[in-house]
Amino acid sequence: MPKINLSRREFLKVSGASLFLAGLPLPGFTKVKPPGTISVIMLEGGMDGLTAVPPFGDPNLSKMRKGLTPDNYLKLNSFFGLHPSFQYFSGLMAKNNASIVHATNFPYTLRSHFEGQNLMQGGGLSPFSETSGWLGRSLELAKLPGRSLSLDMPLILRGTDRNDNFYPASIRSSGNLKTKLIDMISMFHSKESSQVFKKVSKKSTQKDSIVPRDPASLAKYAGKAMSQEGGPLSSVIKVSQFDTHSNQGSDEFGRHGKLLKLVDEIIAGYREGLGDAWDNSIILTLTEFGRTVKENGTWGTDHGYGSAGFLAGGAITKSRVISKWPGLAENEQFDKRDLMSTIDYRSVCAACIEKSLDLDHDLIASKVFFTPELPRVYDLIFS
Amino acid sequence: MNEQYRIAQKLGLMFFHDNLLPEDVKAWAISQLHSKSPALGIKKLSLYPKSKPKEWPKLVQPNLLERDNMFSTYKENRKREEMGLEGFTSQAAIRDNERKNLMGELDQLKFAHRNVYGEDQVKLRFTAFWANHFTTGNIWDNQNHIGHAIDEAILANLNGNFSHMLYKMTTHSSMLTYLDNCWSCGANSQTAIWAKKDGFQAGLNDNLGRELLELHTVSPTAKYTESDIKNAANVLAGWGVWPGRLGGDKLLSTAQRHEWLMKEGGTLDSWNFFKKTHAEPGTKKVLGKVIPAGKGGLKQLTDFLASHDHTINYISFKLAQHFVSDNPNKSDINYIAKAWKKSNGNLDQIHTAVIERAVSSKEPKFQWPMTWLFQVVRLSGATYFKGWDEIDKYNKTIMEAKKVFSELGQSFWHERQPNGYSSDKKEWLSGEMFERRIRFADAIYTAGFPTSNPDEIMDRIDANETTRNLVNSLNSKKDQFIALMCSPELMGLENA
Repeated sequence: MPKINLSRREFLKVSGASLFLAGLPLPGFTKVKPPGTISVIMLEGGMDGLTAVPPFGDPNLSKMRKGLTPDNYLKLNSFFGLHPSFQYFSGLMAKNNASIVHATNFPYTLRSHFEGQNLMQGGGLSPFSETSGWLGRSLELAKLPGRSLSLDMPLILRGTDRNDNFYPASIRSSGNLKTKLIDMISMFHSKESSQVFKKVSKKSTQKDSIVPRDPASLAKYAGKAMSQEGGPLSSVIKVSQFDTHSNQGSDEFGRHGKLLKLVDEIIAGYREGLGDAWDNSIILTLTEFGRTVKENGTWGTDHGYGSAGFLAGGAITKSRVISKWPGLAENEQFDKRDLMSTIDYRSVCAACIEKSLDLDHDLIASKVFFTPELPRVYDLIFS
Repeated sequence: MNEQYRIAQKLGLMFFHDNLLPEDVKAWAISQLHSKSPALGIKKLSLYPKSKPKEWPKLVQPNLLERDNMFSTYKENRKREEMGLEGFTSQAAIRDNERKNLMGELDQLKFAHRNVYGEDQVKLRFTAFWANHFTTGNIWDNQNHIGHAIDEAILANLNGNFSHMLYKMTTHSSMLTYLDNCWSCGANSQTAIWAKKDGFQAGLNDNLGRELLELHTVSPTAKYTESDIKNAANVLAGWGVWPGRLGGDKLLSTAQRHEWLMKEGGTLDSWNFFKKTHAEPGTKKVLGKVIPAGKGGLKQLTDFLASHDHTINYISFKLAQHFVSDNPNKSDINYIAKAWKKSNGNLDQIHTAVIERAVSSKEPKFQWPMTWLFQVVRLSGATYFKGWDEIDKYNKTIMEAKKVFSELGQSFWHERQPNGYSSDKKEWLSGEMFERRIRFADAIYTAGFPTSNPDEIMDRIDANETTRNLVNSLNSKKDQFIALMCSPELMGLENA
């Protein structure tokens, strides 16, 4: 592994969502910058692709999940609809700046949150096989010297045991951090813990930035940072609680619908924050698995396989719903319960990396996803 | 660190300045497993440190039925609020409803008190381990029950068998609501048949069945199948009741609610609540074991899983990683697993084996943020948590327990995923978490008025040279205190 020079990173966390910024070039770094930025919205718990993008053209949809499909979905084409929570996203689609990939997932079928979340971030061949993440490895391949990582950031960005993060605490009766004190503590620690205190010390000299509190402002903040000269080239926002085993709801006021609304707001936040940098940006969602086709006994859905992915950004110039629709009939389902995945979502991630970081597909396939034969879907998304 | 404090750090919560140190610290730690466990705490900040901690009054420790009733009342009042009924919509009324009927804040304070004032420190550490193993994150509907599960399903069962604890946690409201089991019913249950006829939705929810196998017992190494998960869920179908969710949109009085409970489950006891109408008829097979239909099936399943080899190996590793060393070796794990097998899951024997390995291993063990915080408070004699009488009173220097845990980034009352907190040191080495240790050491010194100064503490624990050099390199008592508590030695990063 190449040696990484670490610069700085910002860590922000608010209720309902966490933000991580990465890929910050060092000051004075002169190498040609990659052509774009890449942002990932991680949807933890398993996002229900069939609720988010209902395939109303499939006759089995209404039979199998009547209580989960919104009546007021937005029409995308003669087969697919869009959940009413995605008002902003639908506007982006109309402007040819957003696409959807449906019936897709990482090739993981065992339905464990923890294995699935590990795989979607690690991008390895099996859960827990990698200690670094696919986005981290991509940034490394793009030779971004200021890639900045931390152990408490998601695995997706990991790749080194150095870390640097900061979130201003609000603790009654504690004063400002004193650089000298922290330096002394750091000096008497050894190895990795010394490094961690060193980062805290460095941060103690910086002014606390104003931390936004809601996910949309968080995305706006990230977009703005990414639009700056020398700003981060990558960001990750994590939204959790998609695991709606019960009372999932159908429309924008239901449990799942409210979370989808949050995703819509995050994308809108990015758009606003990115400004002109929008033109070269790509944002994609990621989830560990979809949910069962049939509604379960408690007005929700259980862990499944195929789901949908949302793509947005100026890097997209033609809106599409990209899908090899597998069908919802019982014999068309995976294991007679889940939406089949017919597009390997790793290919979608690879296409977004190729576009934003200007890396060769074969390189990404072999060095990032360890799968040289990974299909290239770039043209389906970006042509 | 001297041996007594080294072991108190690894297996306990540290001694107070006036504790007599045991000569044989291993024997002490093992005897701790049988110490009495009253919930000790303080009534008012101003009374401490002069008076001795007292047991929490019964009035602020409601039993399960009272907790169920309180939560139901809370939800009913929320319905009244939504209906716009007079007396229920003002901010004062809403706050009053929360204050009277929700237990989250009080339980977190009690948890903090126990850990700061408890004379059963080793038991409390094992309690925290198991509370984490059986994570029931806060989904708001179980906020009155998380604390009850920790005290009554875990702490109260520490001297029994693992299989009993497993059963008591699996059937506890905190778990059954957290992992969505309360309305789950078998595909061929009476309820599912009625629902089908009437066009309603009813059926299985496999959330708890899956985590029971993946996280609480055998782990994925057992290579169970989707059918095993489904059958585990079928065994679980029928268990549980959601106190706040009866009656739908209708308002229910306590009497009406109790009538419903008696009709559906034949009892008011939410910890033993099985709805026959939701149960899946017929036998079920989980990992080859045939489980009979009916209420008794679950105990047979949890007993089977509790003694499964994969369960023993998986949890023995977790115990070793939590108590013995950051990188437990095979012999540590095997030693614990052997004691487990030999005693058929007797927790005293398992915990004794953990203690023996933690004592014999000279490897350091990095401590969780919450454990470290309790240890700092006990070592220094600070008074850092409000009294139970003061929960509603704003204090401008001392934060509410709930806020302390929230800023610390660790609490059993946080919303979180069912895999719980990692005991792996690597997961906690971050600037954010370390910055918080500095801030909390500062706050505990500034607002908690420690009774021991850094020099006294270093003498008492026989601090190592690194720690002394670090502390002596600083001038102010406050900086010395912060540096001491954030030293590698007191964070559990290096050997004494």
